[in-house]
Amino acid sequence: MGLVAAAVLTLASLTYIFWPAENPFSQRAKSRLDYLRERKDAVYENLRDLNFEYKAGKYPEEDYVTQRSLLENEAAEIMGEMERLERA
Amino acid sequence: MPHPMPTFGSFSLLLALVLAVYSLAMGGASLWQMATGRAGRIAPERLSETARRAGIMTFAAVSCAAFALVWAAFTNDYSVAYILHHTNRDLHPAYKFSALWSGQEGSLLLWSWLLAAYGFVLRLRHKVDVRLTAHASTILSGVQVFFLLLLVFAAPPFSIQPGEIPPDGFGLNPLLQYPEMVIHPPMLYLGYVGFTVPFAFALGALIMRYPGEKWIHITRRWTMVTWLFLTVGIFLGAHWAYSVLGWGGYWGWDPVENASLMPWLTGTAFLHSVMMQEKRGMMKSWNVWLIFSTFMLTVLGTLLTRSGLVSSVHAFAQSSIGNWFYGFLVLVFCVCLFVFVRQRDHLKTENKLESIVSRESSFLFNNLILLVACFTVLWGTLFPVLSEYVQGSKATVGAPFYNRVALPIGLFLLFLTGVGPLLAWRSTTLRTIRRNFVLPSIATVATAIGLMFAHIRPWEDQSELYSLMAFSLGAGVITAILSEFLRGANVVRTQTGKNLFAASLQLIQRNTRRYGGYIVHFGVVVIIVGIAGGAFNQSTEQEVGFGDKINIGGYELRCQSYTQDSNANYDTEYALLDVYRHGNYVTQLAPEHRFYSASQTNSTIVANRSTLQHDLYVIYEGKNPETGKPIIKAFLNPLIAWIWIGVLIIILGTFVALAPAIKPALAASRVMHTEAVAVGSGD
Repeated sequence: MGLVAAAVLTLASLTYIFWPAENPFSQRAKSRLDYLRERKDAVYENLRDLNFEYKAGKYPEEDYVTQRSLLENEAAEIMGEMERLERA
Repeated sequence: MPHPMPTFGSFSLLLALVLAVYSLAMGGASLWQMATGRAGRIAPERLSETARRAGIMTFAAVSCAAFALVWAAFTNDYSVAYILHHTNRDLHPAYKFSALWSGQEGSLLLWSWLLAAYGFVLRLRHKVDVRLTAHASTILSGVQVFFLLLLVFAAPPFSIQPGEIPPDGFGLNPLLQYPEMVIHPPMLYLGYVGFTVPFAFALGALIMRYPGEKWIHITRRWTMVTWLFLTVGIFLGAHWAYSVLGWGGYWGWDPVENASLMPWLTGTAFLHSVMMQEKRGMMKSWNVWLIFSTFMLTVLGTLLTRSGLVSSVHAFAQSSIGNWFYGFLVLVFCVCLFVFVRQRDHLKTENKLESIVSRESSFLFNNLILLVACFTVLWGTLFPVLSEYVQGSKATVGAPFYNRVALPIGLFLLFLTGVGPLLAWRSTTLRTIRRNFVLPSIATVATAIGLMFAHIRPWEDQSELYSLMAFSLGAGVITAILSEFLRGANVVRTQTGKNLFAASLQLIQRNTRRYGGYIVHFGVVVIIVGIAGGAFNQSTEQEVGFGDKINIGGYELRCQSYTQDSNANYDTEYALLDVYRHGNYVTQLAPEHRFYSASQTNSTIVANRSTLQHDLYVIYEGKNPETGKPIIKAFLNPLIAWIWIGVLIIILGTFVALAPAIKPALAASRVMHTEAVAVGSGD
């Protein structure tokens, strides 16, 4: 019985591994542009967090304005590079 | 064939090894082809797909081996040496099942099976990022090959017992015959093994110079689930030690306890510092090494638990597999170092630390403190081994060494837990500090003053000083967490018009990660409060005859009787103690002392009355041979129950953090939908 079970397991493994895949899934390499899109999302999320914390009364007006302009500059830089890459 | 199941089990392991080697080799070859652009006779995508499938079938093969071992335990197949040495006929079925991880070979099989299971899930979800998953899958196969090599060549679980087969097994170690032991080791191992997944993704991302931080996003849930398993495993172990070992405590800085704590410390540091990488693209090299170290510490933990390298009440194995682990650890370190050196320019930070008073710096301090704690524990754990190697005699590192370092570190971490979320990213001005720190500071100072009025004397006793600091800082942290919730809920309330409770729930749903994290922090504070209660422990030991009394902290224990009993698995002696508090009957406790005939060993069964205020913890220490009367030791341990409650809160918080967040827009549309339905139903 042990040998039969072992044979079944081996056969099942080989069949599954080498059974032709109809559409072997492939993927294009991630580009700098993909990466910048992710960074843009992250900066936008940081901005949303900052706005929410400001509304919650966690930061005074002056600090909020400074923080927001820093994040907006970062977003602008990322979007600038994205535009350049998309044009190229 | 005389031994069909063991044969099947052995064959399954051998097949699993072949499949894992194939997955490693073909996975590696296909990735190399893709990276260099050199195509072989078979397209690299096709080759990679067969490697993935081989990884999946590795899980099937290791599962068959694990099933064969459990089957052997339930059918009392003592031709298998492992089953003979770890079970007996009268053993409870739950413990027969737990025999799978009660000895070295079985626990290595469990490691391998869990790794294969994690790999199975990872490979099924490969479409999340095919190339990155292919890298991680290949690395997992490499780790799998190591554990399967151990199981096939160094510690085979299906070895046949030579000579005549005894009619009954030698039994399971009595210390392991406790309900928690059925779930504690799998939990701990799920934690240990699970860190292989973020490790594999981190190493894979570095090898392929993966742009961006998406690998962190992909592994975030893996890391959190793994961290939760490890946390629960550690505290189940602590609870087991408290309930079974009978020394009145739950954590003795035992080397095996330390082994589980070290990856937890670095894993916790990693969970915090990856947020800096996600948010600001900082600390990339640091994070990579944190997860590399965490993985290596899990391997070290397995080595310490299973090799007999250190003496421990938790180490249930002595063997020579240590050399395999040393070799593997060196190999892993070299691979990590090589890849890091080769690809280090890929890990350049995008932003610098701008201010010492910022959210980033609080994360950095948190990381440094956790690493100092980890190094201290590592040093204390390995010092006896090193001293024996260098001087020929084994030095002992006891609890005082660890406590001297761990207590201040724990308090500083508690302080950072409260401070961190109140600081702003980049830099925090004095205005923000004033605005956010007033309430928590008042809570801290008020608690300290209140406790001193309640007769805690920090100037008289160092342990009382630490307790006072823990309670006070705990109050400050809880206030900070509550104020974060209240402020956020107020914003949601203004936006949606909901009541405070509903607004709080929606707040949590909007940012499950952040508010789940705060719940976890709250759980940590509760645990620390429970630990701090240890400064006020009391104990007494007394010989008691019929009607004799023991007095401890307002309790009176009256010996009703003492007797003995036996069943097929063990003989027992126990005392029946009536418990009175301030003259009123409360309950009856029956501490036991057991003798297991199959393994010829003794065990203590603690009787414990646990309340939120304190535990009345009673041990039967044996009989005085001269008088024939039992010796009873009683402890009064304040606030212990809060430790276990804190763990439940951590579990809740982690589940919240794992739940997907509802985006504000979606949440708003839900509100509108709910209102529309309400209006509609009103019609």
